[in-house]
Amino acid sequence: MPSLPTAKTAPKPNLADLTVLAYGQTKIGKSDFCSHAEGALFLATEPGLNALDVFQVPIQTWDELLDACAEIVAGQHPFKTVIIDTVDNAYKFCTDYILKKFKIEHESDLGYGKGYAIVNNEFQRVLTKLAFLPYGLFLVSHAKQIEVETRTGKYTRIVPTLPDKARKIVLGMVDMVLYCDLENSVGQNGEKSTRRVIRTKPSPDYEAGDRTGRLPQTLDLDFAKFFQAFNTAVTPLKPQAAKAPAAK
Amino acid sequence: MATAPLLSTYSMWNLFRNCRKAVEWRYIEQLVPLLRDHNLHFGSLIHDCLELWHGQRDIELVLDRIDRLCSNRAQDEDQKRDWLNATAMMRGYAEHYPTEEFEIVALEKTFEGPIFNPATGAASRSFVLAGKIDGIVRIGGEYFVLEHKTASQMDADYLEKLWTDFQITLYAHYIEQTLSIPITGILYNVLVKARLQQSKGETVEEFELRRAELLAKSKTGKTTAKRKLPETDEDFQQRLAEKYADPLMFHREMLYLSRDRFEILRSELWELTQAFLDARRRGVFYQNTAFCFNYQRPCAYFALCRSAGNPNVRDNFYQRVAPNEELRALPATTTEPAF
Repeated sequence: MPSLPTAKTAPKPNLADLTVLAYGQTKIGKSDFCSHAEGALFLATEPGLNALDVFQVPIQTWDELLDACAEIVAGQHPFKTVIIDTVDNAYKFCTDYILKKFKIEHESDLGYGKGYAIVNNEFQRVLTKLAFLPYGLFLVSHAKQIEVETRTGKYTRIVPTLPDKARKIVLGMVDMVLYCDLENSVGQNGEKSTRRVIRTKPSPDYEAGDRTGRLPQTLDLDFAKFFQAFNTAVTPLKPQAAKAPAAK
Repeated sequence: MATAPLLSTYSMWNLFRNCRKAVEWRYIEQLVPLLRDHNLHFGSLIHDCLELWHGQRDIELVLDRIDRLCSNRAQDEDQKRDWLNATAMMRGYAEHYPTEEFEIVALEKTFEGPIFNPATGAASRSFVLAGKIDGIVRIGGEYFVLEHKTASQMDADYLEKLWTDFQITLYAHYIEQTLSIPITGILYNVLVKARLQQSKGETVEEFELRRAELLAKSKTGKTTAKRKLPETDEDFQQRLAEKYADPLMFHREMLYLSRDRFEILRSELWELTQAFLDARRRGVFYQNTAFCFNYQRPCAYFALCRSAGNPNVRDNFYQRVAPNEELRALPATTTEPAF
């Protein structure tokens, strides 16, 4: 006798609908990881993709980025995932664009923090618009160590290299913050080994997060494994959603 | 079985009045920013010192407390700046008030009392109000609540604004109710923080640039300009000591309480409790966007609101801390030397 379901299954979001921030140290393999996303198109704001066989649009100014975005919106292309590599440089281009537009040399020249706010608003406007498109959006950033002062003392933390306010904007709009890291381990025979991993959950030592709740805490820095983990994970239902359907 | 009433503070009600969403983040979700606001450190350091000074009147003990609370000053520039300023401020304070015209009745006194419905006189079953005052003093035969304030500047507006300090007025009312001490008024003890900065001097490049500019303007082609060297700690301490010798850096202001104001505040407080219960029942804590940039800086929860509560922001920029931590008594060992 077939047993009918007593609970609804959770919706499975498509990876290509998500916005992801991937950050980590130089040459760890962030771009290579992103290049395996479905229909990947790189908006390459910095050189470094030479070793990868990918579709890329070299971007050197904010105007060029806006033009590329306009073409993506038009939809006459086969791409399904947009990768801004790196978002740090995109932010710099955005800053240059605003400085030029307002004919100033530095954000502080506008006074009362207005220059910084205009840059951040423009940056957020474009990223939000991109995130709403029916394409996946991957943002790539480098990692840096900062000293943070908390109520319980000072310690160092690894964070994306974006300026503080831009980082808050990006973290606030993405579904996943993936920290690409190296994990050292010692085998049974005492042999030391290092593997490249993605850390997906927040920690005092680094910034990371996964609002889909589908990923394990740590997984290999390998897109196929990431994709598999995302698609096979079962998201626990919220209590109110687990009610049995009312009989008609 | 009836649950115990929720402990509330004036800070909570004031925040609720300003932005309900912020109250949800702080008092329901129990979130606080991960990063400490350094500006608050100096104020709490001075409060700690004033409690010790008014309790013991021994400046060496106070200076020793500052040393221990800024024990990392050799490595930490912020702590060093606070240490230099607090040391000079407390020395100046002790010299400015070698004797006091008041008698200390209590210091750092906490209280907890019911919130009454002004229409029926019945106590709220949902909330009690708790708080802590800096002290109670007796002047002549009258009792005053002692309130310490550290200010970056004290002008006419600052003094005018003191009457709007509803918190201390309300607390005075609760002290009367819970400790049965008739409060005549508030004694504000204002300490102005010196705005002096320790000079960092100029680099060789900066000096060469300045020298070249002076030479270009000089008719003789010569200049006696010398490189500005960083100010030593001793020289800066001396400057601070001179600043804190200025009587204008310390001020006492006495405000007499109006009984009518007590009644207004009691009614307001009751209305706030009802609005809170309604918001909690309906699960609606709306944002007051006019408050996002109060004091010309973003609210502590601005990033969270802007991201619509994105867990990535919540988990990476905030931590969970139980509310009303200001009422929690720290164990004595935290400030006493182990050796």
